[in-house]
Amino acid sequence: MSDVLEALVNVGVLASAIRIATPLLLAALGEMVTERAGVLNLGIEGTITVSAFGSFVMADKADSLWLGVLSGVGAGILLSLLMAVLVSSIKVEQVVAGLALNLFGIGMAFYLFRAFYPQTGGEMPRSDTFDFAEIPLLADIPVVGEIVFSQHWLTYAAILTCPALWFALNRTQFGLELRSVGNNPAACDMRGISVTWMQYLALAFGGLMAGLAGAFLSVFLSGLFFVDVAAGRGWIALAIVIFGNWRIGRILAGSLLFGYLDAYQLSLQARGLEVPHQLLLALPFALTIAALVVNRRRSQEPLHLGVPYFRGER
Amino acid sequence: MSTDMSTTPGASSGSLLRRGGWRLEKRLEVKPWHEVVTLVGAFIVGLALCSILIAAADKSVIDSYRALFDGALGSRRAIYETLVQATPLIFTGLAAAFAFRAKVWNIGGEGQFFAGAMGAFFVSDLWSAHLPRGLMVPVLFIGAAAAGALWASIAGVLKARYDTNEIITTVMLNFIILLILSYLLGDLWRSPDTFYFQTVTLPESTHLPLMIDGSRLHWGFGIAVAMAVVVYVVLRRTALGYEVRGVGINRTAGSYKGISVPRVTVLVMAISGALAGLAGAAELAGVHHRLQLDISNNFGFVGIIIALIGRLHPAGVVVSAIAFGALVNGAVTMQIQTGIPAALVDVIQGLSLIFVLTGAVAVRYRLQRTSSDE
Repeated sequence: MSDVLEALVNVGVLASAIRIATPLLLAALGEMVTERAGVLNLGIEGTITVSAFGSFVMADKADSLWLGVLSGVGAGILLSLLMAVLVSSIKVEQVVAGLALNLFGIGMAFYLFRAFYPQTGGEMPRSDTFDFAEIPLLADIPVVGEIVFSQHWLTYAAILTCPALWFALNRTQFGLELRSVGNNPAACDMRGISVTWMQYLALAFGGLMAGLAGAFLSVFLSGLFFVDVAAGRGWIALAIVIFGNWRIGRILAGSLLFGYLDAYQLSLQARGLEVPHQLLLALPFALTIAALVVNRRRSQEPLHLGVPYFRGER
Repeated sequence: MSTDMSTTPGASSGSLLRRGGWRLEKRLEVKPWHEVVTLVGAFIVGLALCSILIAAADKSVIDSYRALFDGALGSRRAIYETLVQATPLIFTGLAAAFAFRAKVWNIGGEGQFFAGAMGAFFVSDLWSAHLPRGLMVPVLFIGAAAAGALWASIAGVLKARYDTNEIITTVMLNFIILLILSYLLGDLWRSPDTFYFQTVTLPESTHLPLMIDGSRLHWGFGIAVAMAVVVYVVLRRTALGYEVRGVGINRTAGSYKGISVPRVTVLVMAISGALAGLAGAAELAGVHHRLQLDISNNFGFVGIIIALIGRLHPAGVVVSAIAFGALVNGAVTMQIQTGIPAALVDVIQGLSLIFVLTGAVAVRYRLQRTSSDE
């Protein structure tokens, strides 16, 4: 029993909570921006998988972690631009396009993986991984240093993206225009703002962020690629956006909460404790549904989310 | 969403694309053969693009596709196996098609599949020792349908009462049911004689009889096709079908016509969930005979794709489910004979879907020569 309680505040658990939260936060921020421009991208799971593969194969074959990150991000952006062509230009149903992208992306990544690394039955191929980037001085602070300031550089970058993105969305002309596209595309069109162009940009940003999330999974965390590398994180990111009611602060909090619950149940399992850890894992999804019901009157959901825009039609 | 395009022909034509002396304009009417051509074309383009992937892996494209075809339809046995693969997809495809007809976006087929399998296991576990096979199998299917319906109704009720987005709730419910199952498999339902997360093997009285002796083709396939007929009749010939289509075309107008939109939403969700649940029963009682976490090969999600490729029509669902079953089945042979990873089939499916979607929009337009004064 005391083990169960101790794990709640264990330094290792808290540090790994932040680590687990990183890809969730990255992908959720990207998805939030995409949704603000009125596009519901259900294809993040596939995007993360493709990017994880892109990062892995480049890091392994070109022997450069940085090129790996770059290629993962590139793959993420490419796949999201395919989504943009489908939903913003051709105006295919968004839900369906997203699901198609998942199928195509995950299939493609796994096919290429098997083409590059034929099954041998031996050990899984492994790439290098980034080392933790301890921040000088700050990392020496007891407890806090170990939890917060001994993470990967991408974790710091993800957290710093939050205020930057908040500023860009809420205090710049561009951010206002982007949000308007999701709320009232017809008015934007009338003002000379290209709805299609804005959605392309938003999706590219979403792809970039999902790409970083994918890169984080392969060349930061494990150095591995496997077909289930995303393990539902794309869907969890989607949940976090709703749980966070499309607000950056709450998305950060949501990512940390989801990461924490995961880290906690992992540590309980590692200690061999007989607890129903699956129920802990199910909690975030139940909370998301609850948040959807509770927030319905103050929902920040973009009014035109998921609705394709046709000029001259209402 | 996009259906209102066809109701305003020519509203935005001309402005879309103007090149040389040609103009892209909307068709006044999309004929069935247009759609068939699009579907076949999409599939061929998907296969053609994937042949680049095969060639890039230094394999013979013709040999690979021949192996794919042989494995899928090349022999009597191959065909039976294809139908086995198609069976759960027919159910989940029907589930998605029925909901999408009412514009209820049930993305939870995967979770409802598992709910169904769990319901089927639950009643089998309780009664298989007491009931003869002739009674046990129907009871098992009823249990599965009820469990699938119940699980889907959560999203249905939330949408009807609180107007929550069912896309999100059904996706969340997928995760929750899988975690609940994972919990049960590690605890209450765990088979005592194994280390794995799986239940005991269910007794003979719960096994679905075979349609063809000596093959694996079980009566789940027959039931699936029968359900397609039932769904067709319900949609075409009953008051409920009329309401479903009415709500799908226009929610607001539907409510003016005296249709209770919340009631229809819950009902549609429940029926859709029941259909997906039946897939779980068919797989449990027809193929696996024990409950495990990996009894679904993405059936719920693939069902959505099948529904769309089948144009939300029950017959279209059956045909595209068999086509997908053939691909999945043939891929195994292809992988064994040529070393091409079976994942190629996912790429073919994904690409074909992308082209089907694109084609479905493109088919509403035609190229027209413009007059000289334009």
